[in-house]
Amino acid sequence: MKKRYIISSIVFIVMLFSLSVMAILKPADESSLSERRPLAQFPELSIDTILSGDFTSKFEDYATDQFPARDSWRTLKAIAKFYIFNQKDNNDIYIHDGYASKLDSEIKVESVENAVKKIKYLYDTYVKEKSDKVYFSVIPDKSYTLAPLGNYPYLDAKAIVEKLKEDLDFAKYIDILPLLDYTDYYKTDTHWSQEKVKDVADKILDEMGAEKIKNYKEVTLDKDFYGVYYGQSSLPLPPDKITYITSDSIENSVVYNYEGTNGVLETIIPEKVYNEEKLNSKDPYEMFLSGASYLIRIVNPENTSGKRLIVFRDSFSSSLAPLMTEGYSEIILVDIRYVYSHVIGALISEEEFKDADVLFLYSAMILNDSYSFK
Amino acid sequence: MLFSGIPFLFYFLPTVILLYFLVPFKLKNTVLLLSSLVFYGWGEPLYLFLMAVSILLGFFIGMAIDKTKSKTGKKIWLTLSVVSSVVILGFFKYADFFIDNFNAVTGLSLPLLKIALPIGISFYTFQILSYTIDVYRGNVPYQKNIINFATYVALFPQLIAGPIVRYVDVCRELEKREHSFEKFYLGTRRFIMGLSKKVLIANQMGAVCDIFRETSEKSTLFFWVYALAFAIHVYFDFSGYSDMAIGLGKIFGFNFIENFNYPYISKSISEFWRRWHMSLGSWFRDYVYIPLGGNRVKVTRWLFNTLVVWMLTGLWHGAAWNFVFWGLLYALLLILEKFFIKKIITKSDVLAHIYTMLFVTIGFVIFNAPDMLTAGKDLLGMIGVGGYEFVNDTTLYHLSSNAVIFILGIVGATPLPKLLHSKLENSKMSGVLAVVEPIVAVLLFMLCTAYLVDGSYNPFLYFRF
Repeated sequence: MKKRYIISSIVFIVMLFSLSVMAILKPADESSLSERRPLAQFPELSIDTILSGDFTSKFEDYATDQFPARDSWRTLKAIAKFYIFNQKDNNDIYIHDGYASKLDSEIKVESVENAVKKIKYLYDTYVKEKSDKVYFSVIPDKSYTLAPLGNYPYLDAKAIVEKLKEDLDFAKYIDILPLLDYTDYYKTDTHWSQEKVKDVADKILDEMGAEKIKNYKEVTLDKDFYGVYYGQSSLPLPPDKITYITSDSIENSVVYNYEGTNGVLETIIPEKVYNEEKLNSKDPYEMFLSGASYLIRIVNPENTSGKRLIVFRDSFSSSLAPLMTEGYSEIILVDIRYVYSHVIGALISEEEFKDADVLFLYSAMILNDSYSFK
Repeated sequence: MLFSGIPFLFYFLPTVILLYFLVPFKLKNTVLLLSSLVFYGWGEPLYLFLMAVSILLGFFIGMAIDKTKSKTGKKIWLTLSVVSSVVILGFFKYADFFIDNFNAVTGLSLPLLKIALPIGISFYTFQILSYTIDVYRGNVPYQKNIINFATYVALFPQLIAGPIVRYVDVCRELEKREHSFEKFYLGTRRFIMGLSKKVLIANQMGAVCDIFRETSEKSTLFFWVYALAFAIHVYFDFSGYSDMAIGLGKIFGFNFIENFNYPYISKSISEFWRRWHMSLGSWFRDYVYIPLGGNRVKVTRWLFNTLVVWMLTGLWHGAAWNFVFWGLLYALLLILEKFFIKKIITKSDVLAHIYTMLFVTIGFVIFNAPDMLTAGKDLLGMIGVGGYEFVNDTTLYHLSSNAVIFILGIVGATPLPKLLHSKLENSKMSGVLAVVEPIVAVLLFMLCTAYLVDGSYNPFLYFRF
């Protein structure tokens, strides 16, 4: 009997102390690739930080973030939640039919109203009396068609559309909901897969009376793509592959991404539509138009009609816009999450708004969480 | 510092275990005291001074009571101890509650003090009071060694969430206690059990409660799911903390009293309170209820005694009206039980159990509400008032997603797992159990670590106590 207690105690002591020593000795990592975020570092140690409680609360974050083999522990937890306790989500991420998605069910009326207010402001300030070719569309998130299959709660994109239709009477609604199902999205990411949404681009172009892309080909990249839900789910999901659609006009188009620049067009280094260097960044989806930006201009020298499309948008449009290049001489993409609505006049001239096609294209998820609109 | 956190488990605990078992016995209390001060000062360094003042007051008043020969003199010292404790507790815990109510009644607008409640103040104040009262009553000799006394008050295993260990129960162990591998292993096992109850069940149920509170997609069924989830949450959280405290105590050679004895199998409210937070119940019984005359008094006096004790019990849990109502609900039920309900419930065990759990659940709905208005809405929601549909998809999702945890919670709150364990221990399988048990303990510990590393939902309930 005694031997049993001695052995069991020693087993426990060895486990506790080895984990403890590893935790103390392990050098701190700067960031977590899977979670796509910087990790907490050892906090500043001083009398002031100790007395204010600042040191201790930051140390908790540090100890938790820098725990040895952090990703493996997170995977263990995810496996326990899904397969031992039979819970249907981990950190609000669920997996159905191999597709990871986020639980999001309630329509936040105030947020949708906030988005409407911002869109109305943009229309009234910049578009009204300049162009009457104004359109809007709503992109459902993956859960819209995935969640009902497993009885997960989901965001009712249709209800958001109805709300917008009531309020945005100056814009024509383009219905893309029937064109999308969950297989059109990456398995491990929020976004849609470009090669699956050509029909969406075509439908929008049809409605706006612009030319569709012709003579295109699909290119699938070798590199594995681990989307944002991969890290959040903490499960060893198989990676996605990024496939993109290209054509001569896309190849010849030039992208001016204003992010991190002084805003003067002439000083911006032009990029290609698909920037393969970005495949090695934290978010490989940034290969489309070189990533998130308050302002992007895509200039297509092959289209000399002078036709211009201005899109107020979120990240979904980064992969959709290239499929629209052929119909326009220039596409301007504005993301008001990164720029104040009232300064857009300084970025896009009145002349540019004149007779342009103007499209408000937002995902239901963003409309339901629109407080980042500036 | 919280037990269920990476800093405690992998930085603090191994260091304390190492130092504690390396030093000779006469220094062990010093190691415990210093580590307890670090543990307490970790979150609120400034409140260490408050605890130090309380410790010194308790220590010197205990000594003074013993040294004073006259009964009146002893009484004066005891009164000083009670008054100083009540003043400290009253100021740091109840001042804003009284100012708020005073403002409401008088129409004045005296500014609130907005003092952050020192964690564990209700626990250690009650421990100090138990000491001075017991010295006054002659139940225990006074403690001559300040280190031993301070160790008793500040002992980190039970400092912030109980059990309320009385001095009389540990005074011998403060001077002399035994350590063994058996105690170490059993303590570790108990600690891991408590940690698992907290992390794997209580926190999951707590998350359901939070989702319920935030969602606008409520349904009548969701009100009941919430009530059940909170009942499981609060039991597994609180008893889990007590398990961890008792387990840690055992590792360091102490035998703390039990705090929970399967309260959810009770067949009356009075039985429930003999099984729930037993160290608090017995504290109020021995230091408030019995000195007031207990039940050996006229009916009207007994009613008064019961109301006072339960109002104080409610207030002890937090400075808000819902806690007072929660306490008074139990007073009312205990009074009704004595005169009427007892006769009815003795006829059927099933009925008795349903009655008890119904009111315990209702009690916890009041307990957990942020204010009385919400408590009222929650209770009305449970009977279908408020324009909610009976059931909706959100309710079904959270019910089905947490079904296994609900079942584990319900079964785990009964003595069934312990019964099964003792059966195995006394059967031919005991040899297998001896091997399997530590493996399961290690696996559970790893699983809890995984949950904590992911930084998931991990609240601390006792900041209001």
